Amino acid sequence: MARPPMRANGLSLSLRDSAGVDTPPLLGGTAAAPRRRRGLRTRLRSAEARRQVWGYLFLAPMLLLLVVFKFLPMVQAFYLSLTSYDLLSATRFVGLSNYAALLRDPLFHQSVGATAYFVFGTCVPLWALSLVLALVFNTALPARNVLRLVYFLPAIMPVVVYAMVWRFLFHPYGLLNVGLHAVGLPAVDWLGDRRATMPGFILSAEWRFVPYFMIMYLAGLQNIPQEYYEAAAIDGASGFQRFRAITLPLLRPTGLLVVVVSLILMSKVFTNVLVISGGGPDGATRVLSLFIYETGFQFFKMGLASAASIFLLLGMMVFTLMQLRLFRDGRHD
Amino acid sequence: MISGHSHLDRTLYWVRFVLVSAFGIIMLIPILWMLSTSLKPLAQVFQLPIQWIPTPPEWSNYPAAWNQFPFGRYFVNSLIVSVAVTVLNVVLAGFAGYSLAKYRYVGQRALFLAILCTLMLPIEVLMVPTFLIAKELGWLNTYQGLIVPVAADAFGVFLMRQFMLHLPDSLIEAARIDGAGELGTYFRIVVPLIWPAVFTLALFVWRETWDSFVWPFIIISDDSLRTVPIGLQRFQEQYVTTYNQVMAISTVAMIPLVLLFFFFQRAFIQGIALSGLKE
Repeated sequence: MARPPMRANGLSLSLRDSAGVDTPPLLGGTAAAPRRRRGLRTRLRSAEARRQVWGYLFLAPMLLLLVVFKFLPMVQAFYLSLTSYDLLSATRFVGLSNYAALLRDPLFHQSVGATAYFVFGTCVPLWALSLVLALVFNTALPARNVLRLVYFLPAIMPVVVYAMVWRFLFHPYGLLNVGLHAVGLPAVDWLGDRRATMPGFILSAEWRFVPYFMIMYLAGLQNIPQEYYEAAAIDGASGFQRFRAITLPLLRPTGLLVVVVSLILMSKVFTNVLVISGGGPDGATRVLSLFIYETGFQFFKMGLASAASIFLLLGMMVFTLMQLRLFRDGRHD
Repeated sequence: MISGHSHLDRTLYWVRFVLVSAFGIIMLIPILWMLSTSLKPLAQVFQLPIQWIPTPPEWSNYPAAWNQFPFGRYFVNSLIVSVAVTVLNVVLAGFAGYSLAKYRYVGQRALFLAILCTLMLPIEVLMVPTFLIAKELGWLNTYQGLIVPVAADAFGVFLMRQFMLHLPDSLIEAARIDGAGELGTYFRIVVPLIWPAVFTLALFVWRETWDSFVWPFIIISDDSLRTVPIGLQRFQEQYVTTYNQVMAISTVAMIPLVLLFFFFQRAFIQGIALSGLKE
């Protein structure tokens, strides 16, 4: 569509107009209006001014909430990261020493490593699996609706229930080990063996999130016009050729979206880790959000926790900026 | 079907079906295990071979689990909080989206970008300062503490704006000329037109809030204010985990979401597809 660029122009135009000479009388609209009641232009302008005020009024409540509970906390996170504060004694300015302490802290290193392990270990198989499933689901299948409901159950269950069920599966006599035993493999100490815990978490994350991202891919697949495939079939293109020449390139924006969303989603993992392993064994699953929680709310080092938050924030910012870019690119189509 | 491969196509069709069903069963097994465990006596929980259909079913696990902690209270709290957050967020997001889509004023673009930026500030990142602000306001262990900070979410603003941009300006202009007033125009013209989007957003926000764990976990220590997710988590703090009861209460906690999904599949799936815009 050609609309969006035009709208963007209109927007910047109106901004330039209203930011110019007109602004002072607009702001004092009601006071200025009686004096120049006669001019039609002025009256229009005061109507315009009233509308502007309504624009602000409609935005104000949500903006207020966001300022208090998003912007203010963000500023405070930066500020706190430069201080030492334990909820009891007064805040003490310490410069960058929290950051220095984190960079030296082996527990923090371990936490960053655990987060990266979880995020990439989960996401890479996730991208492939959800794409394959979406491709299969996008074709004619018997009992598609029933299958879809089944696939969705893991994704719609409450996060704590999901965590409880997997804690149960990871039990030494739980279903995972029963399954391993059935195929002749030795039992795994899922929550006690530090090499096994993270793979277990990754497995559980695949179980929960594959259907979720399959939906995103399906939405993308259904946006591809059917005529392309018909035309290609008439030209004698094989199924694989059609996939390579039509599906893959047209699915690229969706694919990028899936990549970014999954990276962000996984990097803030918290609840299931807290419930299932509490970060253990030996901190092998203490992901960043859990590190922040423990530092802040168990050891009451608010400054240090905030510095760690800033690291997590930076990571997410990189991913989000990628996402915003995608949106801008997507809008030109 | 167009080419002469109909035999191959038929084979592929069934191969796909078997593949998808097999994978589906794997997905389902943990949930089946949960259901079956919820009906076993504790002594049978880890018994081999696995009894998928426990005989006789131990229905008493359900009331036992329910009564072990005040779950009635937790459910009421969850309901109050999730409904209040949904109403507050959807109404204010609708206003803000309307303002950003259909008005023109100084600083609009900057404000929109600033609002968009808050999408990258999840509670996991801001838990320490947000907690301190709630503490400063005296909102620890209160309903307003559970509700208001959660309602401050820009996803709905973004979504509503996108939908309202597609509404023709002429409609709104016509309502104004008819003297409908700004609020009247919004509620009588705009809202009915984007109702499906409002509903999708409401369902999405409700689900997220019903399921939210981190924020209540941080600010609530008073048992009478616990919501279902943090109530469930208490089972895990016990010395001996009574898995049959845990699975019973998990099943109960899952029911509202499954029912809702069942009735509003389309809106749910749309919500998931849209949530790509969030995060």
